[in-house]
Amino acid sequence: MDLLTGLFSTAFLAGGVLALAALGEVLAERVGVVNLGAEGLMAMGAITAIATVTATPYPMLGFLAALAVGALFGMVFAAATVWLRANQVLCGLALTLMGTGLASTIGRSYSGMPARAVFERIEIPLLSQLPILGKALFSQNILVYLIYIILPIALHYLLFKTRHGLNLRAVGENPAAADAAGIPVNAIRFAYVTAGSALAAGAGAYLTLAFVPSWSDGVVAGRGWIAVALVIFAGYRPIPAVLSGLLFGLITALGFVGQARGWPVAPAVLSMLPYLGTIALIIVPVLAWQRMRRVMAAPAALGEPYFRDVR
Amino acid sequence: MLSGLRLQRLPSAHPGIALGARVAAIFLALLLASIVLEISGAAPLELGIQVISATFGSTYGIEDLCLLLIPLLMTGLAVAVGQQIGAWNIGAEGQFYAGAFSATAIGLFVPGPEILILPLMFIAGAVGGMIWILVPTLARAYAGVNELITTLLLNFVAALMVYYVSTGPWRDRVGMSNSATPRVKAEIPEFWGLVHWGLPLGVLMAIGFALVLSYSKWGYEVRLSGSNPSAAKYAGIPVRRHIITVMLLSGMVAGIAGMFEIAGTVHRLQGGISNNFGYLGIMVAVLARNSCVGVIFSAALMALILNAGIILQTQGLTTSAVLAITGLILFLTAIGDELAHYRITRIKI
Repeated sequence: MDLLTGLFSTAFLAGGVLALAALGEVLAERVGVVNLGAEGLMAMGAITAIATVTATPYPMLGFLAALAVGALFGMVFAAATVWLRANQVLCGLALTLMGTGLASTIGRSYSGMPARAVFERIEIPLLSQLPILGKALFSQNILVYLIYIILPIALHYLLFKTRHGLNLRAVGENPAAADAAGIPVNAIRFAYVTAGSALAAGAGAYLTLAFVPSWSDGVVAGRGWIAVALVIFAGYRPIPAVLSGLLFGLITALGFVGQARGWPVAPAVLSMLPYLGTIALIIVPVLAWQRMRRVMAAPAALGEPYFRDVR
Repeated sequence: MLSGLRLQRLPSAHPGIALGARVAAIFLALLLASIVLEISGAAPLELGIQVISATFGSTYGIEDLCLLLIPLLMTGLAVAVGQQIGAWNIGAEGQFYAGAFSATAIGLFVPGPEILILPLMFIAGAVGGMIWILVPTLARAYAGVNELITTLLLNFVAALMVYYVSTGPWRDRVGMSNSATPRVKAEIPEFWGLVHWGLPLGVLMAIGFALVLSYSKWGYEVRLSGSNPSAAKYAGIPVRRHIITVMLLSGMVAGIAGMFEIAGTVHRLQGGISNNFGYLGIMVAVLARNSCVGVIFSAALMALILNAGIILQTQGLTTSAVLAITGLILFLTAIGDELAHYRITRIKI
């Protein structure tokens, strides 16, 4: 059973990156904005976190600094896409290029060094004694609890159980109707795109402070894009988004186990698994579950800027 | 009588104003970058003069520029072709790798005279690129799966594949490098100095695509399917078939770019051979407003920017800094494009 515990432990740890970034993307897409800048935001968060813990020994400070940088970039992105109504795909790609390029430029002096402070494991008494899952889920760093338990439940409640959540979803489904009902469409979009960007950058910080933990060029390696794909697979809902992040953690963990046990597969092939898996995950459901389409559908106004005064 | 100024949004931007917005975006991005350089202690004006003299001061500099122009022209054309039917091919990077991979396979393992091998490599590159975009194409055409993410994710798979073969089974066991394949013997002949025939071929392809898209029935149907799929379907145009053809053509062009890079410039398959050309190709297509002829000019501009980054490497600037500046240009261009839709009108109250 040691193998299974190890596998799940790694899966929770590895999946946290994708789960957190996917939660951020859910927020942005629910209000109708596609943020393709997740990859760049993660890179910026990752390097901010490393730079911060090199200066001060507190990992939490690194995480918060990454959130702040992510929010800042998110505001620039939201200003362009929500207020100025520029093309969301182009601005997102631009954000990815800027974030990745800037992070690599800053990161040259930090490359290869292990993080000076990382998030330590915290054992939760009693729960961590449970067989298999106990050790795997309840003996992790504090961010894992935040990502897998607190955030998804809080966001699910916010989106589906409160009046504010209803307004927020209305903005993503039918901004004109929401506007007519007196909901401040652009302000809500601006706020949630910013918050989502902060979470994406936080996922980058998680990567370099809890999972890898060091900075190297290309450390994000497409995880931002996988997160964007997971949101589609999860039907734009927070709890499934976190679970699909975990599924990807499991695929990554299988790759690690394969490498450690010397399975007769090249490491490069094992590294391809998450990308191929993602492609399969967004193609197969469309073919298999035709009936689920309405439940899984994207917000109706996704990707469309809202013009009140133009017809 | 009172009169006031009012902003009016037009359904499509005036081409001249959109071009102006692009020039302004590039200027503003370079200005911002120079301000950052100035603050960090470098002298941007001197660096600029250094770049211009290194690029245009010798034929060698211009040849280098042209060698960068070829792959940018091809990947930019690939993205622009996909856009004709409204498809985002963000996977030019991966198709570039796949084209380079299959061309190298032919070059290394098929014996024969160069005059036969070269066309075979060309076909292999084209087919490699098409195979790499096949799954995203079918998923888009038959299941409506967003091609943006599927094409992009395959970039990472292609990069891993090329890295694996060039450091593993196809590694050069004789030479000193163990991260590249042996030299591919068949070479595209030079047409001017160091610049190979890929450049005129690429320009011809761009012009060819532009002509077919503007003047043939097929081109008209493709453009109509791209701008209004439901109207096109109603008019009896086989939209799905056009999506498949156009996306495969887009992958083909990017694959040929990879083949050109192997047979014309680098001659060895190695990890990182695509040098972000695929991503920069998106930029090239956007700057050209998806015009196939415009791609030639915007690729020249991108080659200039990329070349500047390479020249300035000795000054501590990196290609990742160039990527960041490119992103800034793209960001400002996107904003400029939207602003170009507005005009100020005088209304009487």
